[in-house]
Amino acid sequence: MVWVRFSCTIAKDPSVLMSPGSDPTLWQRPDSFSRFGKFGGKYVPETLIHALSELESTFLFLATDGDFQRELAGILKDYVGRESTLYFAERLTEHYRRENINNAVAQALLAKRLGKKRIIAEAGAGQHGVATATVCARFCLQCIIYMGAQDMVRQALNVFRMRLLGAEVRGVHSGTATLKDATSEAIRDWVTNVETTHYILGSRQALEKWGGKPDVLVACVGGGSNAMGLFHEFVDDTEVRMIGVEAAGFGLDSGKHAATLTKGDVGVLHGAMSYLLQDNDGQIIEPHSISAGLDYPGVGPEHSFLKDMGRTEYYSVTDEEALEAFKRVSRLEGIIPALETSHALAQLEKLCPTLADGTRVVLNFSGRGDKDVQTVAKYLEV
Amino acid sequence: MSSTKIQIRGQPLSKVLTRNHGMINSVVCGVPIKRHHRVSNVLRTSDPPLGSVPTRTDESQFLRGDGNGRFGRFGGKFVPETLISPLRDLEDEFNFVLNDHEFQEELTTALRDYVGRETPLYFAGRLTEHYKNISQTTGGGPEIYLKREDLSHCGSHKINNALGQAMIARRLGCKRVVAATGAGQHGVATAAACAKFSMECTVFMGTADIEKQSSNVLSMKLLGAQVKSVEGTFKDASSEAIRNWVGNLETTYYLSGTVVGPHPSPLMVREFQSVIGKETRRQAKQLWGGKPDVLVACVGSGSNALGLFHEFLGDEDVRLVGVEAAGLGLDSGKHSATLAVGDVGVYHGSMSYLLQDDQGQILKPHSIGVGLEYPGVGPEISFLKESGRSEFYTATDQEAVQACMLLSRLEGIIPALEASHALAFLDKLVPTLRDGAKVVVNCSGRGDKDLDTLIQRGMPSSLC
Repeated sequence: MVWVRFSCTIAKDPSVLMSPGSDPTLWQRPDSFSRFGKFGGKYVPETLIHALSELESTFLFLATDGDFQRELAGILKDYVGRESTLYFAERLTEHYRRENINNAVAQALLAKRLGKKRIIAEAGAGQHGVATATVCARFCLQCIIYMGAQDMVRQALNVFRMRLLGAEVRGVHSGTATLKDATSEAIRDWVTNVETTHYILGSRQALEKWGGKPDVLVACVGGGSNAMGLFHEFVDDTEVRMIGVEAAGFGLDSGKHAATLTKGDVGVLHGAMSYLLQDNDGQIIEPHSISAGLDYPGVGPEHSFLKDMGRTEYYSVTDEEALEAFKRVSRLEGIIPALETSHALAQLEKLCPTLADGTRVVLNFSGRGDKDVQTVAKYLEV
Repeated sequence: MSSTKIQIRGQPLSKVLTRNHGMINSVVCGVPIKRHHRVSNVLRTSDPPLGSVPTRTDESQFLRGDGNGRFGRFGGKFVPETLISPLRDLEDEFNFVLNDHEFQEELTTALRDYVGRETPLYFAGRLTEHYKNISQTTGGGPEIYLKREDLSHCGSHKINNALGQAMIARRLGCKRVVAATGAGQHGVATAAACAKFSMECTVFMGTADIEKQSSNVLSMKLLGAQVKSVEGTFKDASSEAIRNWVGNLETTYYLSGTVVGPHPSPLMVREFQSVIGKETRRQAKQLWGGKPDVLVACVGSGSNALGLFHEFLGDEDVRLVGVEAAGLGLDSGKHSATLAVGDVGVYHGSMSYLLQDDQGQILKPHSIGVGLEYPGVGPEISFLKESGRSEFYTATDQEAVQACMLLSRLEGIIPALEASHALAFLDKLVPTLRDGAKVVVNCSGRGDKDLDTLIQRGMPSSLC
């Protein structure tokens, strides 16, 4: 297969309004020249121009046509089965929280540096309490865990563990006697004893009603459709971090990957200006990824634009890391992800340890892995 | 031939001739008959029914069976003594969670966020049009709706039950779950639920089925389950799973996938699946301000059918139609049409219709829809047939494959071969219905798992 590259002149530099770090609400996505900044456009033979114009005007009309939108909504609901659910992946969350024993260790070391001899923490299910108690035992620090009286009954085993490790577990009976009350009590203690005490903030485990926005959005990026589907709504909300994850295949240095935004250059492919994987002669490089859906040497122009604007961050994940994530999520949540989605899931390994407790991460679970079980079985010992 | 006295509901009965006791293949709850005093008996359907059918003072209550796990004369607990106590514990636990607000809320949340319920009630416009064109009617023709259980997590209705029972297992403090699976859908659903609730999972599967449904086997393993092969098919895997359970009663929960087995299994599974019918009622009300006229579902053991039907048992104006697998034809001897040609007897712990020969040996069933390949049927289904509340028909392998391809082409939905049996029956049903009749077919699963089978059958060139 031959990839044909159209040559062209790049349009004038975008105006100041579209410079990196500017207010996203002022961006036109796309603008009247069908561009996202300098990306996008209509690099096509003349014969296609008319058809594309017709398509564009029809699309713009239908976007606001009540009848069309109603029909579409009905089909999406009854045929496709939307809305797809926003599912709290409890065991996966727990998995990363457990890895935050690292966090507890770091904090204990910090406390020692600060000369604090007394550690307090709050606990819901008790995992954080146990982690803290463990670390305090190791570093010979006094440990007090505040826990809601209700939770103490439900998680009696963890309470026993904490006490065995030498921690004092104080029951909180106020309010609903659960995590939020334990947290309040812990803060009260800290405020009273701040000279001697270090507070190791734990994470909220309860599935509270979430009256807010996500903090971080994560999605895999091949051409970029599922990612844009998730991101688009939130582009103007600058407090929402957006992370795209590309395929690093055998590794970014191997030359066998599909990490367009990480390793590519700007050019025109398949009719639009965007980042793409090309060699010094402008030939398109054959991409590779274990997941077919990410195996593409280009990326959508809107992604290229968002990258240059600094609005979205892009990372990459190898085949091996994706396979590990595939296995991990299947076992922890009983959901088999597509290999494409597994790239986004793999990024959680690097991402979660850097996030504050209680951060809300929404990952686009773009597809199921039934189609990939044969492939995966070959690679993993199943 | 020897004879045995049978007591049902405390009423002594005259001697009934029994069939040969040498039923080597038959097991009562997984325990070989030879080691056990044989409690089962094969009854000819021409004899007067044993026990009296209660008078129909409360139709709906009558149809839902009594509290002892009997549906008319069907059901019961034909098990070794060792199992009576665990079954009673299970029954107590189940009765508790039925009314426990916390349990129900957790289950509802999981069904919503994990499984993806409610599943849509989809108006199959092109399929409706197809039947209208065939009949060349001037009127609108009947309207066909599909209850989209194929859109659920894991691809079939099986997850509704697996989730609920896994939650019960967790409550009972069991660390380990065992299950048996035919097509693999129940195996995958159980493996998924166990992964979600961090329990060990062992799934037994027949060697013949493992070969036919290899992608489901891989899925189960990826989900963390152990898959153990058993010589034979689903019925043999069932027996082995039950044996395994009996040997590890303290730590292990036997997660039944369908409405067979000793009480309370048929009741529990039906209750967890009844969400299908409850949603359908709500959705029908929303969509056309009324009830369905006809409900159609495939019947292997009966879980998806009961899931859809149960809600409407008391609605006399709603017709309930079950479709069994006629395999290579009812005369070929290679089918799974238990209700059509079977006899009443005891199998896997309960009294129900089953496929058996003159010697009382269990017949080997066949169907291209592996999930329908079972020589028995749930006791509640047997009861619905006998009471006349539901009608049962059959569809052959060939008819099912045709129906599968038709739906794929007309609606872009590839149904499981099991559900395709229900769809196949529409050919005969729809022409008999009035214009505007609302037909709801339970699309109980998606057909991805059957692609290899369909490819082997060969895609008709007209469909390419």
